Amino acid sequence: MKAAGSMTRRGLSLRVLLLAWAALPALAAANLVVVLNSRDASVTLLDYATGAEKGVIAVGKEPHHLIPTPDGKELIVASAVGNELVFLDPATGALKRRLPDIPDPYQLGFSPDRQWLVVAANRLDRVDVYRAGDYGLAKRFELPSIPSHVAFSNDSAFAFVTLQGSDDIVAIDLKAMTVAWKMKVGKTPAGIVTTPDGNHLLVGVMGEDHVAAIDWRKRAIVKRLSTGAGAHNLAPKGDGRQVFVSNRVANTISVIDQGTLEIVRRYDVPGGPDCMDLAPDGKSLWVTSRWIMKVSVLDLDSGKVVKQYPVGRSPHGIYVHKPPVAAAPAK
Amino acid sequence: MLPEPFAGWFGALQGWLFQTLVLPLLQVAGLAVYTEDAFNATEDFLWGALEIAVLAAVLLPLERRYPVERFARGSAVRTDVLYTLIHRLGLFPLFFFFTLRPLFDALQATLHLRGVPTPNLESLIPALAASPVASFLAYLVLLDLALYWIHRGQHAFGWWWALHSVHHSQRQMTFWTDNRNHLLDSVLTDSIFALIALLIGVPPAQFALLIVLPRMLESLAHANLRLSFGAIGERLLVSPRFHRLHHAIAASPRGDYRGANYAVLLPLWDLLFGTADFRPAPGATGIDDQLTGRDYGAGFWAQQWLGLKRLAGRG
Repeated sequence: MKAAGSMTRRGLSLRVLLLAWAALPALAAANLVVVLNSRDASVTLLDYATGAEKGVIAVGKEPHHLIPTPDGKELIVASAVGNELVFLDPATGALKRRLPDIPDPYQLGFSPDRQWLVVAANRLDRVDVYRAGDYGLAKRFELPSIPSHVAFSNDSAFAFVTLQGSDDIVAIDLKAMTVAWKMKVGKTPAGIVTTPDGNHLLVGVMGEDHVAAIDWRKRAIVKRLSTGAGAHNLAPKGDGRQVFVSNRVANTISVIDQGTLEIVRRYDVPGGPDCMDLAPDGKSLWVTSRWIMKVSVLDLDSGKVVKQYPVGRSPHGIYVHKPPVAAAPAK
Repeated sequence: MLPEPFAGWFGALQGWLFQTLVLPLLQVAGLAVYTEDAFNATEDFLWGALEIAVLAAVLLPLERRYPVERFARGSAVRTDVLYTLIHRLGLFPLFFFFTLRPLFDALQATLHLRGVPTPNLESLIPALAASPVASFLAYLVLLDLALYWIHRGQHAFGWWWALHSVHHSQRQMTFWTDNRNHLLDSVLTDSIFALIALLIGVPPAQFALLIVLPRMLESLAHANLRLSFGAIGERLLVSPRFHRLHHAIAASPRGDYRGANYAVLLPLWDLLFGTADFRPAPGATGIDDQLTGRDYGAGFWAQQWLGLKRLAGRG
C-alpha cells in the first residue's frame, strides 16, 4: 500500500483532474438566481451573469419565501396557499421533491442548532415548529394575528416571530415549546433578524418608517432607526457586521451597522424593494422589486441600480446561488 | 399566461398606480397590513377599467348603429352604468374582501387542517399541468357549467328570483345591463363561485383571465345589438341574440320567470339540459308583470330596496 505522499505524477494529475471535475457543476452553477413570483405560483430561474431567463417552474400558489437547508444541499420554496414545500437543487434549480401538507408556509427559518424548522403561517394565524430532520410537526402555536417573519436567538433557545396584525413580536421557547413572551414593537412589524452578537433583534416596522432595535432579554426597544417608510425586510451583508433593510414605500435600501446600531448608507432602489440576497462576490445586491415585476441589481460601490430583469408578478423571495468553496487541489 | 408586451405594459401601469396613489394612502391610513391585498386589488381595478374602456369603445358605436330596440338612453341606462362601475371598479370586490374573504380563509384552513383534500384539476388530470392552454380551457368549461347551474338556481327558487328579478327588470337592455344585480344576489353568486374556485383550485395566474374573459362576453351577450353568430356559432358561444331571448318578456310568464337560455358562455349546457331556445325574434325585454304595473324601481336605491321587500314577501 502506497502512502498518499508517494503518489506518481500520473496519479497526482488524475487526482487534480478528478477534483476539478467534481467542482465543475458547482462552479458552472454559480450563475443561478432563483426568484419567487408570488402572484403567479411560479419560480423564475435567472442566469446570474446575463440575467437571461433559464426556466420557469410551476409551484403551489403564493410562493413567498425560500431558504437553503442547513446542509446547503437543497433550496426550500414555501408555497403559502399551495400548502407545500418545494425542494430545488440550489445549484441548478431542478425540482427535487415536494413536501405536501405543510399548512400555509409563508416565511420560515431553521434554528442555528439545525433542530427545528419554524414556519410562520401568515394567513392561518399559526406558527408551526417542525423537526428539521424529518419535517414532522412538533408543535403548533395559534398566534393571532398574521405571523410574518422568523428569527432565532444564537443559542437556538428562542424563535422570534413578528405578528403583523397585532403589532407584536413573540418569543417561542423551543425547549419548553411554549410562548415565552410577547411585546409591542410598532405598526405592522415584518422582517426580523438577530444581531451577530446575539444581544439585539432588529425589526422592520413596515407600517411606520423605521427599524426597531430591541434588547430582547430586557424586552425593551433601545433604539428606533429611521430607515424609510415601509421598512420591511432585512438581509445580512457578507461580513455579518452590517445588514440591509428594504424600505418598500420609500423605495430605498438602508444599511445598518449591527454593532453600533447606526445607519451607515442609503440606496435608491425603485419599484418596492422587498427580499434581497448578496451576489457571490459581495459587490452587488439582488433585490425583488415587488410592484414592477422585476429583479433589480444594485451595485454597492456606485450605489446605482445597474440592471433590472423582468420576472413574474409580485416577485418576492430571491436566492443567489453561492457555490461552495472548492477544495484546494492537492499539491 | 398574458402575452408580451401586454403583460409588461399592464404590470407597469399597475405598479405605477399602486405606488403613486394606493401605497401612500395605505401608509397614511395605518393600513400597511393590507399592502399585498391592495396591490392585488389594484390589478382587479385595472382589469375592470380596461374592460369598461374596451366594451364602451367597441359596443357603444355598434349599439347605436345596429340596435335591436331603439330607445333614448335615459336614466334607466345610466343606472346600469352605475351598477357596472360598482361591480367592476372595485367597490363590490372591496366589500367582498372585507366581509367574506376572512370566512373563506377560515374555511380553507379548517378543511386543510382536518385533512379534507381540496383537489385541483391538474392533480386529477396530470396532463393538464403540461399545457397552460388546455388547463385554462378546462377551468373555463367547468366554471361555466357552475355558472349555468347558479343561474338556474336564480330562476328556480322564489326567494332568489326576488333578488335576481332586478337584473331582468331592465326594459332597455344594453351591454351595461350585465352588472345590474341586487347586491345581495351578487354576494351570493360570487360566494358560490369563489367556493367552487377554492374547491377545484383555480390557478392564480389564470384567475384574472377566467374572470375577465367571461365577464366581457357576458357584457356582449346583453348588448342591444343585432348580432347573431350564425347557425353553428349560436350553438358554440352565447350571442346577444341567444341571451336576449332569455331576457324577453315573452319568455317570462307569470312573473315568476321560468325561461330558457341560461348559459353564460357555452350554449352547450342549455342544449344538454333541455333549456335551449334558438328562436330568432324574442321581442321586448323585461318581466311580464311589469306590463300590469308591478314596480321594480327606477334607480339604484329603489331597485335595491324593492328587491329586499320582495325577498321578505312584501313587495
